[in-house]
Amino acid sequence: MIRNCMRVAGLAMVMVATAVLWAGSTSVSANPQSPAAAPTDVKIDNFSFGPGTLTVVVGTTVTWTNRDDIPHTVVSTEGVFKSKVMDTDEKFSYTFAKQGTFAYFCSIHPKMTGKVVVQ
Amino acid sequence: MSVNPFDIRTALFAKHAQHVVLIHFPIALFTTAVAFDYFALWTKNRALAAAAYFNLLLAAIFTVPVVATGLAAWQWALEGQKLKGILLMHLVLGCVSSVLIWLVFCIHWSVRSHPENSLPAYRLSIEALAVLLVALTGHLGGFLTGVNGPG
Repeated sequence: MIRNCMRVAGLAMVMVATAVLWAGSTSVSANPQSPAAAPTDVKIDNFSFGPGTLTVVVGTTVTWTNRDDIPHTVVSTEGVFKSKVMDTDEKFSYTFAKQGTFAYFCSIHPKMTGKVVVQ
Repeated sequence: MSVNPFDIRTALFAKHAQHVVLIHFPIALFTTAVAFDYFALWTKNRALAAAAYFNLLLAAIFTVPVVATGLAAWQWALEGQKLKGILLMHLVLGCVSSVLIWLVFCIHWSVRSHPENSLPAYRLSIEALAVLLVALTGHLGGFLTGVNGPG
């Protein structure tokens, strides 16, 4: 009697495990991961731009958001774009219409630098 | 390009704002002057009173380039745009602090010019208030420069 119960329990465990594995495999195949969209946001946090170098395609609008507790600016080294002073959670956006590499910095903290590569 | 720290051009055209360098002088001179003035009052020591006076003189003189470089940084780095938040508070408190430093110096100077007079007791309150404002302004300035961050 006990031996029969153990067999039934073992069979049930195998069936449950098989069902779980099958469900997992079907869920993966049913929802193939689409390629992630390229980021177009730059976060200003802890006195740095993140990512430091952002690569986008022509026509992309890049948005900088100040997550720091103190004001920052986003100023192109070559004068292409320039933000106002951004307080916490304020944003600045710029649309890159030409190819090239655009270096920028914070005019309040010149050691804070970043780069946008437009392809 | 290598950077020579003893090259005068490197010092004058450094990437940091000169305001950040100069500000340490009036802060140190003024707080020391106030400390000397309080000790001079407590100990009735004329040498300490003289030390307080000359520290005040130098502190007042140093406020001129400090305010000038601060305003220049506002005009050049931020193109004189309308300030708000911490930047505005730093500007206002810095100007008020400078005025108070000059006021304290003028009180000491007027008494020194007329030795028959004695320093008024109310100057101690003005000095204490000025030290408080200088400390607050410096705190905001340090916050702005990011002394606690990698910037």
